Amino acid sequence: MTETRTAPTGSSAGSRGVTFGGVLRSEWIKLWSLMSTRILLALTLAAIVGVGALTVLIRYTYLDEMIRNAREQGQTMTPEMLEASFPPGSGFDLYNLPNAGLQIGILILGSLAVLFMSSEYATGMIRSTMNAVPRRTPAFVAKAIILAVISYVITAIAGAVTFLIAMPVFQGMGFDLDWSTDGVLYSIFTGGLYVAGVALIGLSLGTLLRNSAGGITVLVAMFFVLSIAAGFMTLIPGEFWKYVPQYIPSEAGGRFLSIGHTDGVIDPWHGGLIFLGYVLLFLIPAMIALKKRDV
Amino acid sequence: MIEAKGLTKVYGGKTAVAGVSFTVQAGLVTGFLGPNGAGKSTTMRMVMGLDRPTSGSVTVNGLPYAHHKAPLHEVGALLDAKAVHTSRSAYNHLLAMAATHGIPKTRVHEVIEMTGLEAVARKKAGGFSLGMGQRLGIAAALLGDPQTLILDEPVNGLDPEGVLWVRNLVRYLANQGKTVFLSSHLMSEMAQTADHLIVIGRGRIIADAPVQEIIAGTRQARTLVRTSDALQLSALLAGDGVTVDHSEPETLEVTGMDSRGIAQVALDNGLLVYELTPQMSSLEDAYFDLTKDEVEYHSHLTGGPAVAAPAAAGK
Repeated sequence: MTETRTAPTGSSAGSRGVTFGGVLRSEWIKLWSLMSTRILLALTLAAIVGVGALTVLIRYTYLDEMIRNAREQGQTMTPEMLEASFPPGSGFDLYNLPNAGLQIGILILGSLAVLFMSSEYATGMIRSTMNAVPRRTPAFVAKAIILAVISYVITAIAGAVTFLIAMPVFQGMGFDLDWSTDGVLYSIFTGGLYVAGVALIGLSLGTLLRNSAGGITVLVAMFFVLSIAAGFMTLIPGEFWKYVPQYIPSEAGGRFLSIGHTDGVIDPWHGGLIFLGYVLLFLIPAMIALKKRDV
Repeated sequence: MIEAKGLTKVYGGKTAVAGVSFTVQAGLVTGFLGPNGAGKSTTMRMVMGLDRPTSGSVTVNGLPYAHHKAPLHEVGALLDAKAVHTSRSAYNHLLAMAATHGIPKTRVHEVIEMTGLEAVARKKAGGFSLGMGQRLGIAAALLGDPQTLILDEPVNGLDPEGVLWVRNLVRYLANQGKTVFLSSHLMSEMAQTADHLIVIGRGRIIADAPVQEIIAGTRQARTLVRTSDALQLSALLAGDGVTVDHSEPETLEVTGMDSRGIAQVALDNGLLVYELTPQMSSLEDAYFDLTKDEVEYHSHLTGGPAVAAPAAAGK
């Protein structure tokens, strides 16, 4: 097996150098060539829609019961009366139904983002990546773009599908709900942005910690445990602690998804900016670490 | 061509590579030889820009590796056979690497064929044997048809056929005018493959010369002498730059005098000599001579060849 016809000099190996488009393609091949990713992405879509549909069912059953109870007492309950029976800010809004399954998307897509980088460290693939792209930063940026786009697209599609399921249900109850309802398209648009941001934080955590379990743990702590902790924080006496929780990543990001001004709460676009700040807070150190550290 | 100048790497207070300078010439196979922990892999990682030198610099084909526009066409490297995602197929691994440079699919198929991976190319790389993983690493190194090839322990885990294939491959590439830099702890392999040797021990270069020169230069010619009166002959020969080892009955090992001189002394004194054998020095001997003070991890055997053990144990 002395196949010494190794080098058809330059010709078949091509002569183009590293291009960003090439790196982008390379990272896409890496993501898509893993069967686990494809299955995971399909499941994510199904899970977001599934949880969304479940939320629709729960809200429908609840409202339906209220209407029936009212009818038994000889009263008629109109959708307007129903809406009015909830205190403002208690989350009755129907426009944010597209994002009903968002939490599950955050969990899965965020973890996928951590793994997209940490698995390269775990397997040693990172050294092949750095050999092909020794400037390193383009590989990170390519990963970031791919994760952000995938997260955005999946979340937006899932949101739209969830809304397609929700719309006829609530229309049937007499609610005025369709694509033109205030906040519907906005919440689909921002839901995708929010999850894309979480994915970028996940990628950064995978890069900084170089460890899958560690990265996912920190991500879950940040987006799930911290909000529970923030709930307890509001129990601390003093006005100050009532205002702190809305600045944590999940609350600021969540606020970004809603519309309208509420007294004592940061405005949606403030929430968006704060969340963007968190994304950069992780993204920039991760890029610096990747560039500087030995692999 | 690879040029290292004062290359130093310190890991948390421990100096892995201590100011090494060397040049690896094009058109030659240059072997990089040294015991475990001598700094071979660290040096190679610094050449590839994976590790940042604590001080010093290294260029490949005139530029630091990361500054090349088409790095895969400049240098192909096999540093770690396990630099592959375990769940990805060999084909997709190569395809992803090729994509960064716009290297066409035909080249991917070519290197798969060249390295004999056709049958397993679509299988997950995680299930590969050590030898298959090594072949995949070599395929990745050849992908860009590079000017310079850096191979860390390329024959590690290969079967005899694979070893022969690597040997022919690197010889062919060097004959094409390419720069080939390979590390190995197998001295016999180096003797057959390399033209030039750089020997490293405890992070320092201890020899940098053509293979033949290293074999010839490190150990003085020894002569095995069997005589009926070892004690007397030993007394007559010793001194004046001549050392005599008398370890077995009727047997002497003489350094510093050739066989004709020894025979003359024996004849003048009427002593019977029944064997006079000049001892040929091998690369292995030369290597042990060079590195005996430099091995990091001595095995705790006593006796002569003990220092050989850690080097031969592989990495």
